[in-house]
Amino acid sequence: MSIRHVLAITRKEIYHILRDKMTLILVLFTPLFLLLLMAYALTVDLKDIPIAVLDYDRSQTSRAFVHQITAGQDLELYAQVDSMNEVEGLLMRGEVKAVLIIDPAFERDLYALRGLPLQIIIDGTEPESGGFAVDHIGWRAEEYINQVLTDQMQSLGIQIDNLQPIDLRVRAWYNPSLKPRNDLIPGLISMVLGFPALSVALTLAHEREHGTLEQLMATPVTRTELLLGKMIPYIIVGLINVILIPVAAILWFQIPFNGSFPLFFGLSAIFLFAVISMGVLVGVFMPTQASALALSFLVIFFPGFFLTGIFFPIASMPEMIRMESLFLPGTHYAIITRGVFLTGIGIDILWPYTVMLFVLGVSFTAVAALFFRKKLA
Amino acid sequence: MFSRIWSISIKEFLHLRYDWWLPAFMLFGGVIELLLIGWATSRPITNLPLMILDHDQSASSREIVIALENTGTFQLKSQVYDFQTIEAALERGQINAALIIPPNFGNEMASANGQPTLSVILNGAESIPATTALRTVEGIARDIGEQITIKRIGMKPETLARFNPSLRVWFNESLSEALYSIPAELGLMMEFIILLFAALTFSREKELGTLESLLVMPLTSLEIIIGKSIPVIIIGMLAFGSMLGMVHFVFDVPVRGSLGLLIILAFVYILVELGKGLVISVVSRTQHQAFLLVMLVGMIDFLFTGYAAPVDGMPQILQILANFIPAHHWLEILRGILLKGAGFDVLWINVFVLLILGVVIGTFSLRYVRRSLN
Amino acid sequence: MAYPDSEEVSTDIPSQPIIETHELTRDYKKTRAVDALDLSIQSGELFGLVGPDGAGKTTTLRLLAGLLNITSGSAQVAGYDLASQAEAIKPKIGYMAQEFSLYNELTVVENLGFFADLYDVPRSELSQRMDRLLAFAGLTEFQNRRADKLSGGMQKKLALASTLIHEPDILLLDEPTTGVDPVSRREFWNILTDLHLDGTTILVSTPYMDEADRCSLVGLLYAGKLVTCAEPKQIRAQVEGDLLEIKTDDWQAAHSLIESLPGVLEVQTYGESLHVLVDSADERMPEIQIAIEENGLTCRHARQAPARMEEAFISLIHRMEV
Repeated sequence: MSIRHVLAITRKEIYHILRDKMTLILVLFTPLFLLLLMAYALTVDLKDIPIAVLDYDRSQTSRAFVHQITAGQDLELYAQVDSMNEVEGLLMRGEVKAVLIIDPAFERDLYALRGLPLQIIIDGTEPESGGFAVDHIGWRAEEYINQVLTDQMQSLGIQIDNLQPIDLRVRAWYNPSLKPRNDLIPGLISMVLGFPALSVALTLAHEREHGTLEQLMATPVTRTELLLGKMIPYIIVGLINVILIPVAAILWFQIPFNGSFPLFFGLSAIFLFAVISMGVLVGVFMPTQASALALSFLVIFFPGFFLTGIFFPIASMPEMIRMESLFLPGTHYAIITRGVFLTGIGIDILWPYTVMLFVLGVSFTAVAALFFRKKLA
Repeated sequence: MFSRIWSISIKEFLHLRYDWWLPAFMLFGGVIELLLIGWATSRPITNLPLMILDHDQSASSREIVIALENTGTFQLKSQVYDFQTIEAALERGQINAALIIPPNFGNEMASANGQPTLSVILNGAESIPATTALRTVEGIARDIGEQITIKRIGMKPETLARFNPSLRVWFNESLSEALYSIPAELGLMMEFIILLFAALTFSREKELGTLESLLVMPLTSLEIIIGKSIPVIIIGMLAFGSMLGMVHFVFDVPVRGSLGLLIILAFVYILVELGKGLVISVVSRTQHQAFLLVMLVGMIDFLFTGYAAPVDGMPQILQILANFIPAHHWLEILRGILLKGAGFDVLWINVFVLLILGVVIGTFSLRYVRRSLN
Repeated sequence: MAYPDSEEVSTDIPSQPIIETHELTRDYKKTRAVDALDLSIQSGELFGLVGPDGAGKTTTLRLLAGLLNITSGSAQVAGYDLASQAEAIKPKIGYMAQEFSLYNELTVVENLGFFADLYDVPRSELSQRMDRLLAFAGLTEFQNRRADKLSGGMQKKLALASTLIHEPDILLLDEPTTGVDPVSRREFWNILTDLHLDGTTILVSTPYMDEADRCSLVGLLYAGKLVTCAEPKQIRAQVEGDLLEIKTDDWQAAHSLIESLPGVLEVQTYGESLHVLVDSADERMPEIQIAIEENGLTCRHARQAPARMEEAFISLIHRMEV
C-alpha cells in the first residue's frame, strides 16, 4: 500500500472540505454545538411540578397536610378543585402532572389510627414528572404519617421510635447526586462524535454522482488506499471535536473528568476509526448521495442514538438487540467515555472495549474494500 | 396549472424509480427502524446486574435477597465475599448496584428495638438505571420495614396498608415505557424523514446542475414547488400511516382519540416540516450541506419532544423556546390523541400554534424559495 | 513535444500490437454495447474511433481502460491481459473520460499534482513535468485557478494534461473535443499530433468525422460492431458515387427537387449549398443543372467535390442498414 497515494486522496478531500465554508463550519461545529445545547437542556431540574388537590375532607388536618406537601420547591399547588370532572380536564390538558385526592374521612381515620385515605392519580404519559410527583408526595406523606402516628402512639403509650426501622444507606459512586446530566453527557459525546461518519458515507457517492470516480478508477490507486484516504480527513474532524468538547463540557458544565486526557484522545481516535469505517461501508454500496444519506441515517445514526446504552440500559434490551449493539462502535465508546469522565479508569480496564473498536474498524474497512470494485459496472 | 403541477410530480416519481433506495428507506426504513428501536427500548428497566455481599447469612438477609430478585428489576450477578470484588465490578461498569448486608442484620431485625441497616452502592455512571435501582431497593426496604413495624406494635397488616396512598395511573395504566417513548420515537422518525426528503429536493438538482433545465420550462416557481412537494407529502403520509399501524398492532399503542383528527393533524405537521425542509433545500448549495442542516435542525427539535428529558425540567428560556418548535406541539398532539383520547377541545391550543407556525414558516419558505428560483 | 526523459523510440516496427482485442463483447441488461470487436492497433498509431451516438465508442474505451467487466472475448493492452491483469495496465495508460471529471474545487496545479501522486511520478521530475505540461496546454498563467473557473476548452486541456503527467505509452481519450470551441479544438489536435509524432499510441473517439481525417487509422463503430478499419484515404475511397456541391437561390425548393431525380443517392444541406451524392458525376451533374433551370431556379454554382469522411461513413452505414 502506498502512503503517497493515501495522502494524495486525503489532501484532496481536505481541500474539498476546506473550500466550502458553510459545509466546513457545519461539519466542524455541529457536534460541539449540539452537545452544548443538549447539556444545557438536559439539566432536568424538576421543580415546581404542578399538582392539583381534590380535598373532600376540608378539615384542619387535611389543609395542614396539603400545606406540608406543597410547601417545598418541588411541588406546586396549581389548583384546588371540587370535582372529578375538573380533575379529568386538568389531566387531559396536561396542566397538572398529578392529582391528590383526599378522602372525606381523612382526619377521622388518621387520628383513629385507621389509615390515611389518600389517592394519587398521575399522568402516565409523563412518567418523569408524574413519577417525580408520586415520589415527593409519597415522601411528604410518609413524614406526615410518621409524625402523626408516632405522636398518637406515644400518647397511647406505645413506644415507637421510627415507623421505618430499616436504615437504608445509599451511596452513588462516580455521580453522587445521580444527576442524569453527568452520565448522559459522556454518552452524548459518543453520539455526536459519530456525525463525521455520516459525512463520509457521502463522499464516495459524491464522486459517483459527479463522475470523478470514473477518472479515479482508471488510475493505479487501490481500493484500500482510496477508502483510507477518504476516512482520514473525517477522523481529523472528529479529533478536533475530541479536543473541543471535553474542554467545553468541563469548563461550562462542570462535568467531572477523572481520567487521563491523552488516553481519552487515543481511544477516541480508535473509536473514530471504527465509526467512520462504518460510514465508508455504507458509502460503498449506495449509488447516490441521497440514498447514502438515507441508509446511514437508518444504520448508523438512529441505532447509534437509541441502541448504544446512552438513554436506555443495554442490560434491559432483548437478547438479540444486545448482540447487535455489540457491533455498534458507539456502544463500546459510551462505556469508554463514561469510564474516563466519571469513573476515572484507565487502559487496564478499558482495553477490551478498545480492542473491540479496533477490530470493528478493521473489519468494516476490510469488508468495504472487498465489496468496492474498481469497475463502473 | 394543475396539469403542469401534476407533470412535475410525475417526473419526480419517475426519478425516484432510478434512485429508489431513497423512498424505500423513507417508507420501509422508518417502519423497520421504529420496530427495532421500539422493541429495544420499550421494556421496563430490568435485569440490572446486582452484587450482594452478605456478612450476615441469616434467614432475614436471605429474605431480602430473594425479595430483590423477585422484583425482576435486578439480576443477581453473584454473591461475593469481599468488598474489593464489588469495587472492581463497579469500576468496570459490570454491575449497576451492590447490596452490603452487615453481620448483625438478622439480630437487629428480630430484636424489638433493633436498627437494622443496609448499605447500597449504586453505579452512578448510569444514572437512569441507578434511579430505578434505588426506587426498587427503597420499595423493598419499606415493605420489609412495614412488616417489622406491624410485628412490633401489633398492628394489623391491613391497617398499616391503609396508611399508604393508593396510586392510580391514567392514560398509561401499566406505566409502560413503550407508551411513553414510542410516540416520541415515531415523531422523531417522521420529522427526520420529511426534512431529509424535502431538503434534498432542490439541493440535489442544484448540485448536479439539472435545476437550470427545470427553470427554463414554462412553469411558474409556485408550480415547481408544489409539484416537487407532492411526492414528499405522499410518502410522508404513507410512512406515518404505516408506522402508526405498526406501533398499534405490534406494541399495543392505543388510539384512544379520533383517528381522523390525527390524520388531518399529521398532514398539517407534514406541511410544516416540508416548509422547513424546502428552506434548507434552497439555502444549501450541495446535498451534503442540506444534510448537515437537517441533522442540526432535527436534533434541536428532538430535544423539545421530551424524549431525553421532560421539557418541564429545562431552563425557563428553553421552555419558552419549545413553544416555537412544531415538533413539540406535534408530540403533544400525538400523545394526546393516542394515549389520552384528547379531542380538539383539549388540543386546540397546540393545533392553533402549529397552524400559526405552519403559516409563518410556509409563507417565509414560499417567498424565499420562489425568490431564489427566479 | 517530446518526453525528454523517455528512451529513444524504437525504429523497428514491433510485431505485437500494443492493443489487441479478440471478439471483445460487452452486454448491458438489454443491449449489446460492443459486439465481437476485433481490433489490432500498433504502437505509435493515432487511432480514431468514429461512430454515431450509442455506437459503443465510450464502452470500448472504458473496457480497454479496465473500467468495465468483459462479457466475453479477450483483449491485450500493453502486453497485459485485460481480464486478469487490469490493474497492471493502469500505470501504462492515460484515460480521459467524456464528462469533465476533474475536481472542481482544486486548482489546475493541485489537480495535476493529485494525479502525479496517484501515478507515482518521481518527485525529482515533478515540477519540471508540470511546467512543461502547463506550457504545452497553454495553462501556465491559469495554474492557480480553480478548475470550475476554467472555460470548457481549458478544462479539456487540463484533463488531457492530467493524463500525460505520467508519460503513458497509451492514451485513451473519449470525445475529448466535444463541446469545445473550434479554436481550442484545433489546438487540442495539434497537441495530439505532436504526441503522435513522439510515438505515443493514441486511441481517440470522436463524433466529428472531419477529425477522423487527422488520424493514422480509423475505425467506424456502428451498433457495437466495427464496420471498417482502415486509413482515412482508403475509407474515403470507399464511397460509392461522386459528390457534387450545388448552390442555388432557393435551397429548399432545390432540395426537394433534386431528391426526386434519378441517380441521386443522397442530398444534404450545407448552409445554403447542397451536397448531392450521385452515382456518376459526369452523368448527373448536367441533368441536375437542367432540372434546376427548368423549375425556375437559378443554379449559382455546381462542381464536383472530393468525398469526405462524412459521406464515406454515411454511405457505409447505409449499406449496413440495407
